[in-house]
Amino acid sequence: MLVPLYGFLAGDTLGLVLLVHDDDRVHVIAEQLQLAACVRVAPRAQAQVYFRGQRLDPQLTVSKAGLAPLDRVDVVPEER
Amino acid sequence: MPKLNRDDWIDLGRKLDWDYSYVREEDVFPELLSGRPWLLHAEWQHWDEPYRTTYAEYVDTQADKDAIVQGVREAVGRVEDFAKLDRSWLNGLKLHAATMAFTEFTAGIGDIRGARFGRDGAWRTMALFGALDEFRHTQIPLLLMHELVPWDPQFDWTHRLFHTNNWMAIALRHLVDEMCVGTDPLEFAIATNLVLETGFTNLQFIGLSAIAHDVGDRMFEKMVTSIQTDEARHAQIGHSVLAILIRHDPERAQHLVDKWFWRSWIVFAVVTGFSMDYLTPLAARRTSFKEFMEEWITDQFQKTLTAFGLKRPWYWDFFIEALDTYHHMVYASAYTYRATLWFDFALPGPEERAWLREKYPHTWDLLDPVWERITERWRTSGPGIEWSTQGATMPGFCNLCQIILSNGTPRANAARVVEHLGRKYIFCSEPCAWIFSREPDRYADHKSVVNRMLAGEAPPNLVELTRTYFEMTPEVRGEDMLRGRYPWLRTHRNDPGLEV
Repeated sequence: MLVPLYGFLAGDTLGLVLLVHDDDRVHVIAEQLQLAACVRVAPRAQAQVYFRGQRLDPQLTVSKAGLAPLDRVDVVPEER
Repeated sequence: MPKLNRDDWIDLGRKLDWDYSYVREEDVFPELLSGRPWLLHAEWQHWDEPYRTTYAEYVDTQADKDAIVQGVREAVGRVEDFAKLDRSWLNGLKLHAATMAFTEFTAGIGDIRGARFGRDGAWRTMALFGALDEFRHTQIPLLLMHELVPWDPQFDWTHRLFHTNNWMAIALRHLVDEMCVGTDPLEFAIATNLVLETGFTNLQFIGLSAIAHDVGDRMFEKMVTSIQTDEARHAQIGHSVLAILIRHDPERAQHLVDKWFWRSWIVFAVVTGFSMDYLTPLAARRTSFKEFMEEWITDQFQKTLTAFGLKRPWYWDFFIEALDTYHHMVYASAYTYRATLWFDFALPGPEERAWLREKYPHTWDLLDPVWERITERWRTSGPGIEWSTQGATMPGFCNLCQIILSNGTPRANAARVVEHLGRKYIFCSEPCAWIFSREPDRYADHKSVVNRMLAGEAPPNLVELTRTYFEMTPEVRGEDMLRGRYPWLRTHRNDPGLEV
């Protein structure tokens, strides 16, 4: 099932709408959002995903991580 | 035959009220249409304003003003006059004209309601003049920009914007429909006359006319000056209504001021912030948008609040921080979604960015990397390759102001998700969430662009959405003002030999 999320990439100037599958891994969110924002923010190799202030395990699926449609997730790229 | 002195007769025409003999006052002025708190006319009978204009004087004055605008139009309002202006300024003009014309028209509707349901004769008379003013302010930009359409079809959006589902149109309608059409005359007086006109646009017009003078746009200068003199008069309604409202319901007065200051600020920051800090040529910039806000808006507004015994809005600290970031966040975002809008964008170059750093020393370091990235992508793609600096993923929109989610800073975006009756809403900021929470029934059913897309009411991909839903055809969709052909952007590798 597709899950629309509001994604906020640290360093970016706006929130974007991401469409992920409920069985996608959390790291897919970080990859998708960095790609979506790449005209404004250079992608980094590693990035963490946060939901309600908690860092999510990148190997969890979207549904196991408790993410539901129209939730806000934050992606914070790791410093090089 | 001896003539009466003006003071002996003027109130008979200007401030005419009487006792009703066969209807009740609350039937003549129902609370739903006249506003709350509902008070007997005895409480409004001393309502007054300083201009005390008669209809004949109004017509004479307006005829003179129109003659002046027409004279300037004939002298410097031709296509060849506009063609001489700086390209970035022309794009600011497209933004202003499109957002202005039908906002003014909608304000005319609010004024007409005041002309019938305002609670005192003098209020109703001034509201009638206000309505006539607003229709004039609709007609002037429509007239002036219409002649430019064959030269540049983006000017067509002066008329077209409000009739579309372009995201900026949705945001503007959400604001002005509520402010002018969905309010009673009392709330309209606070929202439009006091907060928007006295607090923002009246002073904005003074600032803009000075900038227009510096860039050589005599037509725009004269247009906003002429409009400003009307606004200064009918905006007086706001102060007089607030003075009586505060006596009877100070909590409601504070709420209305807080709500409408935030709602006005959001749109004002986009239109005027873009124009002052990005679409005015550097040589003509007198102050930054923040400096303008501090000098003309925040100081004056605080004096007004103090004079009436009101407090600063509860979100004041957040608002002050937003002066440093909000319009920059929206502009950088909109630059990379410029194909969704009807005007072209300027890419700030090294000199502009140095100026912005000087004017915004505390926050520019957070924003400059975004422009560095965009610049680098232009360098890589070479000029003319618009897609290389455009986003392809759907932006999110605030469920209150309907503008992209760009409040806060690049480090900490201020958006927040709230659940209401089982539905999730996202707001760009705490004040937008607060406004929603105070009157959820008023806003809950409205769908943002994202909600429409998810409900199957708008195309699900951005290209189709831009083309068919936002109505951006190749002739009008926004591009980089110089298509990336900036002299400072040239490199040996991709230099096509073009310089503007």
